[in-house]
Amino acid sequence: MNDSLRQKLEATFKDILIAIPEESRIAVTAENDGVPAILRFLKDAGFDHLALLSAVDWIEDDCFELCFILTSYMQNDNEYTDSQRLHIILKTPIPREKPQFKTVIGIFPNAEPYEREIHELFGIKFEGHPRLTPLLLEREYEIPPFRKDFDTRKYVEEVFDKIPLVEEKDK
Amino acid sequence: MDRNQIRKWLKAPAKMANKYSLHAIYFCTGCGIIEVPPVITSRWDAERFGVIPVATPRQANLFLITGYVSVKTLRAIIRTYEQMPEPKYTVGFGSCPINGGMYWDSYNTIKHLDKYIPIDGWIAGCMPRPEAIFIAVTHLWTLIDKDMANGYIRYRENYNSYRRNQELALGKLEWPPLFPVSDESQGNEQ
Repeated sequence: MNDSLRQKLEATFKDILIAIPEESRIAVTAENDGVPAILRFLKDAGFDHLALLSAVDWIEDDCFELCFILTSYMQNDNEYTDSQRLHIILKTPIPREKPQFKTVIGIFPNAEPYEREIHELFGIKFEGHPRLTPLLLEREYEIPPFRKDFDTRKYVEEVFDKIPLVEEKDK
Repeated sequence: MDRNQIRKWLKAPAKMANKYSLHAIYFCTGCGIIEVPPVITSRWDAERFGVIPVATPRQANLFLITGYVSVKTLRAIIRTYEQMPEPKYTVGFGSCPINGGMYWDSYNTIKHLDKYIPIDGWIAGCMPRPEAIFIAVTHLWTLIDKDMANGYIRYRENYNSYRRNQELALGKLEWPPLFPVSDESQGNEQ
């Protein structure tokens, strides 16, 4: 399954890097523009479940990396075994200066909360997303808190430690 | 009923009744809540101690805060606490509400819960055993006997400071003050 899928991917798309780190795992690295087509291709190939959409901040390389993790519930005509279960991770780098990406809700509708979360925690804007409103956080942050240049200890000292203890009145 | 306590019952029946029927609001915060289902069900059976979970804060008088408090949870905690009828007792469970615990440098977890609402007692540990809840309950009985579980009175008296801290953490609060708030200059209500 690994090899046939790899050949199919390489035949269909140019400019992609395919690595097989271990059995039943495939790691695909692609450019930004190619991602929707690859996702559609993989969805048609049976990987119908977007298990996770996540982001990594590679601050030394000056880029974010979006990771789409796709799995499949059923393989080989509804026969399911653990060894046949294949995970595909699709990575794409995004420049830090211009953190933008096209939304993939049209392909996987369950990407909506993931994209909201990434927008909130990494500050990556998803074009075409219907509502990029706050999901988890309650406070405003100058730098989105999951970026590597966000200094949590400094933030804690400046915000939470500055809140004074309650001065009790003497009886 | 313990015959030795008859004098206490005659002296302050309301206090004794409060003491032996602690209705805990079933409010799930953080990981500590995983200790609570075995405590209230047959394995440890909290009802031996008069502790029973209730569905709404309006019927509760014991608030067990079980774990780290994020900023968003703090909003819910304050709203829940203010809805509970007096007398009400709060117990912080685990090390995270005490001083942040392992979330001491987290960007979204408030440390020191007693800056925002008054706490009557703490249970230290990460995790405390279910037995620790019963030890806390018996301690709370002693405190109630001696009129030392006075968190709700302190809340009323120092409401200015508490409200100011809540606004520092959460920004503007969308609900009105529970008690009259005097001017910022010097808290001198009543």
